Amino acid sequence: MITTDVIIIGGGATGTGIARDLALRGIDHCLLEKKDFAAGATGACHGLLHSGGRYAVNDPEAAKECISENQILRKIGKKCVEFTEGLFVRLPGDRLQYRDNFLESCRKTGISTEIYSASKALELVPNLNQSLEEAVKVPDCSIDPFRLCMLNAESSEMRGGKILIHHKVIEIIKEKGICVGVRAEEQFSGEIKEIRGKLIVNASGAWGSQVAKMSGSDVPMTLSKGSLVIANHRMTNMVINRLRPSSNGDIIVPNETVSLAGTTSITVNDPDNLSISPEEISLISREASQMVPEFDSVRLIRSYTGVRPLLKNTSDSGDDRAISRGFKIIDHKNGMFSIMGGKLTTYRLMAEKMTDRIMEEFGINVPCTTAEKPLDGQDQLSGYPVSNRIEKLDDIICECELVRRSDVEKVIDKVGTKFIGDIQHRTRLGMGPCQGGFCTYRALGMMQEQGKVSDSESIRVLKEFLDRRYRGIRPVLWGDQMREEQLIEGIYLGILGLAEK
Amino acid sequence: MKYDVVIIGGGMAGLMSSIYMAEQGFKTAVVSKGDPVCSISTGCIDVAGDFTGIPENHPYGRAGEDKIRLSLDYFKKLMEKEGLPYIGEFLQNRFIYTSIASRRATSMVPLSMAEAHEAKKGSIHIISFKGMKDFFPGYFKGEENNQNISIFDAGSKTTIGIATSFDDLTFREKFFNWIGDQTIDADVIAVPAVLGTKNPQAIIDEIEKISGKKIFEIPTLPPSMPGLRLFRTLKRAASQRGVDLFWGNAISDYTEEKGQIQSLIIDQPGRPTIVESRSFILATGSFVSGGLFAEKTSVRETVFDLNVSIPEGEQRLNDSFFDPGHPLGRAGIAVDEKYKPVNSIMKNLFIGGSILENSQIMKYQCGHGMAIVTGLESAKSCEEYLK
Repeated sequence: MITTDVIIIGGGATGTGIARDLALRGIDHCLLEKKDFAAGATGACHGLLHSGGRYAVNDPEAAKECISENQILRKIGKKCVEFTEGLFVRLPGDRLQYRDNFLESCRKTGISTEIYSASKALELVPNLNQSLEEAVKVPDCSIDPFRLCMLNAESSEMRGGKILIHHKVIEIIKEKGICVGVRAEEQFSGEIKEIRGKLIVNASGAWGSQVAKMSGSDVPMTLSKGSLVIANHRMTNMVINRLRPSSNGDIIVPNETVSLAGTTSITVNDPDNLSISPEEISLISREASQMVPEFDSVRLIRSYTGVRPLLKNTSDSGDDRAISRGFKIIDHKNGMFSIMGGKLTTYRLMAEKMTDRIMEEFGINVPCTTAEKPLDGQDQLSGYPVSNRIEKLDDIICECELVRRSDVEKVIDKVGTKFIGDIQHRTRLGMGPCQGGFCTYRALGMMQEQGKVSDSESIRVLKEFLDRRYRGIRPVLWGDQMREEQLIEGIYLGILGLAEK
Repeated sequence: MKYDVVIIGGGMAGLMSSIYMAEQGFKTAVVSKGDPVCSISTGCIDVAGDFTGIPENHPYGRAGEDKIRLSLDYFKKLMEKEGLPYIGEFLQNRFIYTSIASRRATSMVPLSMAEAHEAKKGSIHIISFKGMKDFFPGYFKGEENNQNISIFDAGSKTTIGIATSFDDLTFREKFFNWIGDQTIDADVIAVPAVLGTKNPQAIIDEIEKISGKKIFEIPTLPPSMPGLRLFRTLKRAASQRGVDLFWGNAISDYTEEKGQIQSLIIDQPGRPTIVESRSFILATGSFVSGGLFAEKTSVRETVFDLNVSIPEGEQRLNDSFFDPGHPLGRAGIAVDEKYKPVNSIMKNLFIGGSILENSQIMKYQCGHGMAIVTGLESAKSCEEYLK
């Protein structure tokens, strides 16, 4: 049995952010995540660190929070934030009045803007739609959500915090009506662990209602599905937004070697049962290609979808975008708090408010320092420049993303992982055009060498991986990606004989 | 100069066509954009997973059992002649081991894989190579935790790198000495397929002599030596029979007159090459080879823009990755009994290989077998036409 002060449920940005904040304030804690870090909305978003521009017109409070957090994260998380800056492009037909509103709202909320002529914008991003009217520059950034969560967790662990990934909470233990702990199941072995604590924080995002229900509480939420596509190269060095009221497919974000575009917004009921329709994909491609025409013909390597856990409010406009993206702390008055809503950009602020509340509960007065101290563990993130990684080509085991054998071995050794996804998130293994078609066999072979999985387990893990991979790729299978897919099928169903009849 | 026949596509089907046509005395050329899928295959000839399950409208249905048997015999004799003999009979399964230690059925295998057929997983001694990227012996440990594994340091970690080392006699000597020092209790030795870039028989004989054990190769993930050996042997066989090879550039255009294709125009830096011929065989393969290209809602044939039949009224792709044979895989060129495209005015064009409609090689596990049969049969139709 593990005994601690605070039990955090959920390993997304909010949960790991709370863990870091508690660690910096010297409070003992244990975080439980049923999958890997960033497995929910955190990992399924654009990877956009908002400047606030997107919210300036409709939700000035959110915009203010965004720009303030944007500046903080740029400072404390240099290795997971790329200061790309962003453009809001105005295309023919987009109303001039919105642009004026936009500029005025940005000024009021403290978001710096600069107006670029069409030719200046094209100079910065040459494959923008040639017929654009003008663009407004804002301090948008690209952010790596996986890295962000891992670095937050690192800050916690190095101060004695306990971080248990692949542990699913299956029961909340109550004594005399008060939550006193949880039982969690280790997802590979099925081992059940009991963790006792003074307080429980439910930071499980889209799964918030399910977790709250285990303690007999209710959290009113609306789940809004958002789908995105990944194009196989970096088509722009800046974030591209459309200068008009927020709608589907209006953002393109560069991330490392690829570009992401999205999103859609569709109300769903079950966060564990999501699929992407062909209509969503064509909608995103169509909208994105209005800003960057090449998007219509670019090779898409994958699609993914996530769920925004939105607070339910009383206004009934029918559009989930109208529901506040703000956040809320709910005291269930039974030893459990839920922190709900919010967005990746403001995760740190959410964690600060939550931790303030916990400190209040404990009657301890230690101020928050998460905005001043850099995230720990950033100096260990290496691999750049790329020439460091390709000194010995023989050692590259993921040719698409140039991942070294030693990088993968380090992750297997440190995380002790039994899941391909864990390696992918930490090294970018399998994130390129073939989507793990070649390197997964190798990564599993290396796990066997280190004694983490047996050969029969690795076939199981391999099949799970191929299944998940296919679900992401299937919606974008045409053109060159279809060629690649026939090759990958040839390898796994043909050469390795994994076809099921 | 005008050819009698120009074959488009340098894969299994195209090379078989070209060898046959050259042997019949026709002035023959092959135009290929690059090395084919054959060069990354296991090198084994899958004829069909289950012959009884193959529908009438599959290219095998058109050929019929006798012609299939005849074509496979032709292939086997050819490989014997070319010094890379194959073993296996039509309608009989042979088993090989995959690099995840599963047993997989096929029909004809190069001799270096022959011993896999009888080998039991628990009684195999694995010989592998230090740091090798595309072969992990751990998959062979099994429930009984088989520890019969020896690792040789070849100084290289890639399949091609190690195989090239085996072409070197000093390296071989070093390896043979090392083998002599190993204690091998198991009945049979298995090694990833890296025993040289050419026919590995001499190396296999020597290892058998030293160890007193039988040995077989396991095909690795691409690049795979047995596939490369097969491809190189066929390409050389074509060349030695006088086939001209135009390799490495794509066809940009063609000329046509009165329902006859006159010439192909090959993209080349500087100026394009024009290849004239009396007849043409299209064997450019399916999606992976680039013969077909999947647009979002249609499918395009990439050289002549031929009419492509696609299944209508159903989803293009299966729901599960492990369910082989997408409806989209049935897309291809519909042909008549003479392998001429049915919806085309071209009188001197013949079609062979996996670009044929309803071939679905993944579903029926018929890749190389179907390529051999339709490659030869389309060539025979072309021969008839030329006479």
